[in-house]
Amino acid sequence: MRSLLLQIAAVTTINLKSMPQRLWLSLSTVTAVGLVVMVLLSFLAMANGFQRTIAGSGADDVAVVLRGGSQSEINSVVTRDQVRLIEEGPGVAAGADGKPEVSGELYLTVDGIKRTTRTKANLPLRGIGPRGAALRRAIVLIEGRMFAPGSNEVVVGKALRGEFQGFDLGGTITFGSSRWTVVGVFSAEGSVFESEIWADLPVVQSLFKRNNVFQTVRARLTSPAALGTLKAYVDNDPRLKLDVTSEAAYFAEQASRTSDLIQKLGWPLAIAMAFGALAGALNTMYSSVAARATEIATLRAIGFGGFPAFVGTLIESLILAAIGGAIGAAATYLIFDGFTASTLGASFTQVVFSFQLSPRLIGQGVVLALLVGLIGGLFPAIRAARMPIVAGLYG
Amino acid sequence: MNDLVLIRKNLFRKKLRAILMIVSILIAFAIFGVLASFERAFNAGQDRAAADRLVVVNKINFTQPLPISYYERVAAIDGVREVTHLNWFGGYYQDPKNFLIVMAVEPESYVKLHDSDFVIAPEARSAFIRERTGALVGERMMAKWGWKVGDHIPISSNIFSQKNGSHTWDFTIVGTFAGRAPQNDTNIMLLQYAYFDETRSFGKDQIGWLTLRTTSPAVNDQVTKAIDQMFANSPYETATDTEKAFNKAFAAQLGNIALIVGLVVGAAFVTILMIVGNTMVMTVRERTREIGVLKTLGFSGGRILRLVLGESILLALIGGLPGLAIAFILIANMRESLMTFVPTLALPPDIAAAAVGLMLTLGVLTGLVPALNAMRLKIAAALGRS
Repeated sequence: MRSLLLQIAAVTTINLKSMPQRLWLSLSTVTAVGLVVMVLLSFLAMANGFQRTIAGSGADDVAVVLRGGSQSEINSVVTRDQVRLIEEGPGVAAGADGKPEVSGELYLTVDGIKRTTRTKANLPLRGIGPRGAALRRAIVLIEGRMFAPGSNEVVVGKALRGEFQGFDLGGTITFGSSRWTVVGVFSAEGSVFESEIWADLPVVQSLFKRNNVFQTVRARLTSPAALGTLKAYVDNDPRLKLDVTSEAAYFAEQASRTSDLIQKLGWPLAIAMAFGALAGALNTMYSSVAARATEIATLRAIGFGGFPAFVGTLIESLILAAIGGAIGAAATYLIFDGFTASTLGASFTQVVFSFQLSPRLIGQGVVLALLVGLIGGLFPAIRAARMPIVAGLYG
Repeated sequence: MNDLVLIRKNLFRKKLRAILMIVSILIAFAIFGVLASFERAFNAGQDRAAADRLVVVNKINFTQPLPISYYERVAAIDGVREVTHLNWFGGYYQDPKNFLIVMAVEPESYVKLHDSDFVIAPEARSAFIRERTGALVGERMMAKWGWKVGDHIPISSNIFSQKNGSHTWDFTIVGTFAGRAPQNDTNIMLLQYAYFDETRSFGKDQIGWLTLRTTSPAVNDQVTKAIDQMFANSPYETATDTEKAFNKAFAAQLGNIALIVGLVVGAAFVTILMIVGNTMVMTVRERTREIGVLKTLGFSGGRILRLVLGESILLALIGGLPGLAIAFILIANMRESLMTFVPTLALPPDIAAAAVGLMLTLGVLTGLVPALNAMRLKIAAALGRS
């Protein structure tokens, strides 16, 4: 057993030390595997970042109420009477002042200019009441102050300000004929709310001629379990043709659609490219075996077994692939991790998100790389093990 | 033995190696064909836009409404040849997952303005203008759902509701139409605005946007200014733009698809280029002695150059052409299922031509260094080298 291990160690050392002779070929395998891992990881990081931004936005104990069948906030319409009925509904928590923690909101799409492309993009302008901000987790004003009720003032999400022009503190923005001043910037733990503009609900209603119209209602529940109670109440009242979902479920549904799509694009692409890299790896390893035919035959002639030749070749291939995988993962991390992008979300407005790598994703990339190394090394290794000694010595 | 036979023999001397290289080139070109077709389809809106067509939307955002009175007022502006108005319906069939592109339009002006896009039979046209509850449905949508002219179909809206509270309207398909070019997608349904406006519960007398044709592209700027000035400082200010610019901005909202496509194709090509290039250098070096023999037999340097370059180009074509064919088959299969999202998905001839160009480039690039080396090889050195 020990002699077998020693033989393996010896053959592997010979393999690795002879690598510089095949420098370009080895480098091309490393680069090929690296690029494959990079393409895969950048897609996965994109899907992951989008998923986290959206899915991380919702709370279990907040109910989102939309008009029946409307699916997203942008399509929904809720009347003042319906908002009042929700306030009176069972399972709705009361605030410190004893009033129900309910926020009727207006969700409008306005134009902004994207910094990178300088093209128009849909941005969400949300009219919120006094309870709107408190109904969302971890809203922190990082600059300026909250808008004053009754004024043409807005606060904007941090991500939105970064991605679109003209939302800096103190700036004036124009939506049609109405002018607004940016008085604050807020963060929201990277959630989708950071891609929104908030203003006082009555001001938005009047300037956009939507008096007494709401689009969504958010209500704090006494507990996540109270959702069912509120749902039953809404279903039993003919005046309330509304859909009630938990905010967490609402966002999870939206997130899965887009991130599924991104993953469905990323994996087949990466696998197709992996086959290309595999061809390269096989080529490199076959030439490695061919180049070392004499050495292998000599070792066999002095009593080395076929198995060490097999293992040595396989290890060389795995090492090349592992280096490629590591470089690919590191490059993706350096170039794409934290890279911000924006796309149209389910409510037909821009959602700003950043690419996020995670150890689990890196693991998937490395596994793909090693798989390429394993298969790419296996067949050449078998050839090395089976090589006839005499042919090798005279070849 | 002519040169072609020699090239072929050389290429397949090591069968496994040749097959591996062919496979990796095949994959690179399959990826190229699919991604380039997707990118083209995403940006199709810009290509199909007519130069004399403008779009008038609410300045706040195109999802905000405009008053119906703007239709008459814009029609009266100098330089406007014809104008129509449209309203997004937010349609679906039976289940919200069955999303449909449905628009409520003013039939007469719509049909006239889109005469250059769609072939609409005279009887379909007059039936659509006549029947209040009629729907004009494009060929591809008819085929997708298996509908026939005369069918009664319930169409729901995720935005609007009827005065009785229902989200579903019943329409009769009164006719169908075909696109004049592949870019003119017919996976759409058109409804009568007048009927829609009367029956909906809110938003009366509002329209989504106006599409118009100018008398010539030269007056586009002048018309744009005239429209936007006319409605400046009103409660509904407008933003007028060419259809092309509007479509381009809309496509850009999805994110930078061109960049992603470029990066992936670039990565795939660099990979393949390296693998194939390295292998070609290696194979030619292995044949040094033979090249020396060929030269001894009287083969000129130029002929040797042609032999090696021919081999690498042949390799690129043998791998690339089937790859392109695979891309074509993949695109044809994805076309139906992705019809609603990328309606004009196809692998057009110019992308195929670009792919062939890339194959030749790949062949030349990978073969050039070894070919030059082989051409310059001195006989004595070649035969002396082991």
